[in-house]
Amino acid sequence: MTSSCKTSEPWRVGVLFSQSGYMSVIEETQLRGTLTAIDEINDSGGINGRPIEPIIYDPGSDSRNYGLLAKKLMVEDGCSTIFGCYTSSSRKAVLPVVERLNGLLWYPTLYEGFEFSSNVIYTGATPNQNSVQLCRILMELYGTRFYFVGSDYIYPRESNRIMRELIRNNGGSVVGESYVRLGADRNSFVPIMREIRQVQPDVIFSTVVGNTTTYLYQAYADLGIDPRVMPIASLTTTEAEIRAMGYDVGDGHLTAASYFQGVGNDRNATFIDRYKKRYGEDEPTNMCLEASYFQVNVFAKTLAETNSMDTSMIRQSVMGSEFDAPQGEVSINPVWGHADLWTRIGRANRSGQFDIVFESPSSVKADPYLIGYGRCLEYS
Amino acid sequence: MDTNAAAKTKRPLSQRTSAAAAMRKNATATTPHQNLRIAVIVEPDADGERLIRELQRLRCEVRHIWPIPPQLPVDCDLVFCTLVEDMPKRIPWLPGEPEAGLVLVDRGVSNLDLKLIHNCAAHGVLHYPVVQRAVQTCVALAREHFLYERRLRNRIDKLDENLRTMRLVERAKSLLVRVKNVSEEEAYNYLRRQAMERRVTIGAVANAIIDSHELLS
Repeated sequence: MTSSCKTSEPWRVGVLFSQSGYMSVIEETQLRGTLTAIDEINDSGGINGRPIEPIIYDPGSDSRNYGLLAKKLMVEDGCSTIFGCYTSSSRKAVLPVVERLNGLLWYPTLYEGFEFSSNVIYTGATPNQNSVQLCRILMELYGTRFYFVGSDYIYPRESNRIMRELIRNNGGSVVGESYVRLGADRNSFVPIMREIRQVQPDVIFSTVVGNTTTYLYQAYADLGIDPRVMPIASLTTTEAEIRAMGYDVGDGHLTAASYFQGVGNDRNATFIDRYKKRYGEDEPTNMCLEASYFQVNVFAKTLAETNSMDTSMIRQSVMGSEFDAPQGEVSINPVWGHADLWTRIGRANRSGQFDIVFESPSSVKADPYLIGYGRCLEYS
Repeated sequence: MDTNAAAKTKRPLSQRTSAAAAMRKNATATTPHQNLRIAVIVEPDADGERLIRELQRLRCEVRHIWPIPPQLPVDCDLVFCTLVEDMPKRIPWLPGEPEAGLVLVDRGVSNLDLKLIHNCAAHGVLHYPVVQRAVQTCVALAREHFLYERRLRNRIDKLDENLRTMRLVERAKSLLVRVKNVSEEEAYNYLRRQAMERRVTIGAVANAIIDSHELLS
């Protein structure tokens, strides 16, 4: 898309989040975050007098569809910018398409790091922005013996690899490890819970994603274990999953995230207010939603400067860009094209919200390759 | 080339052998793409027939397909296909992950659509009327770009893999230093020796050491 001085032609952008299938619970909230931001921007007059027009497709939780639909968006719908993806498999499906056709994927989800592409802006947390602090807090508060349970695909396996390093380098141990397939049902957790009861870890570290999350936490609740003694600690369980599983089931478990609905600043209050007005009083916000929301705003700010959808121009302009997000001030790190984000640890309560147990004093610089964390992830 | 039978019998064996070798070398040099499997998807008009002939002259294995199939074939090295408006839909692979080289054939009948050509992520364009030089260079360049792209992507995959392995080896080394009370250099030597003796990668050895340490402690 090229620039135009006097036109009210909309800026067309692609949106790829699953509204059906086992990833729908969380991705639906990312879709909403995206649309909330777009509506706000259009209500204020759009960008240089032109509204943003989202072209929305539902990949139905199938990674392959993300690649096919990214191609469709770029080739048929003329969108060079795409907001989308949750799982790493879906991002990896889109990657060759945006790289070859020089598009720009804005990716609003935490992931395992160790990736860089000139055609992706990463606005979700990487391990140094969540795992590092989570491990420290867990070992301080609960003990040194960990049991890993995750969905069976690249993100949990890679996150566990890093978590294991963190744990072992600081005197802890991993006493068990289980994976359930994506879209697994509740029966898959019966043998896992049995093993956990036998092995008695201090912490259950979960990288289970999607609607399956509910089954894990419910299986845990059925066993009658006390979260104050042996909590589930997660990188992925947000307010959305807590709502799906039931507030009483989620009560007491921990999550590491850049953002919780409970973050106490004015910007967040305004954001939550707007979101609830549009989607309902009962609808919680979460970190993936918040990232989807702020990344559209960062894009809009950049587009207002470039007045062009040209990927190279947008990318060059967005590097170093700052924005006052609901989580606090964030910026797009020019070295990595990843966002500098806040680190928080929260404990879920009976109202389905997270009490913030730890908060970083400032945003944490992006370091997707863990270059600044020592050759084997030792920290003092 | 030989002039007459008498001259031939007087030339020493070494010269005759190297002359024959030079002939064979020249023969291969003019058809560097022989046996390349090429699918040609063009209307069998004058230019189409010419294109097929030129490719056959290059000793390529040519398969002619017409009309255009809903999906281009992938069991070949190179595809020549007439450019049509819905071409991107007919390409079975995603842009960025081509399974064959792709040369678009532009018959020159409609307006030039550069955006469409970009969206096909092709490796070259051949314009009608068919000219021998153009066909030859198209084949050469398309093949070269396709292979180079594949080498680059393999390099990236390998780099990613290496990064993971390096962290693994680093951990195994630290473990050995701690547990066996040896220096860093001795630990590395040990890892390398094990990899050589067992004929596996150093990453595999590192993995095994880390896993077994976990199991035993």
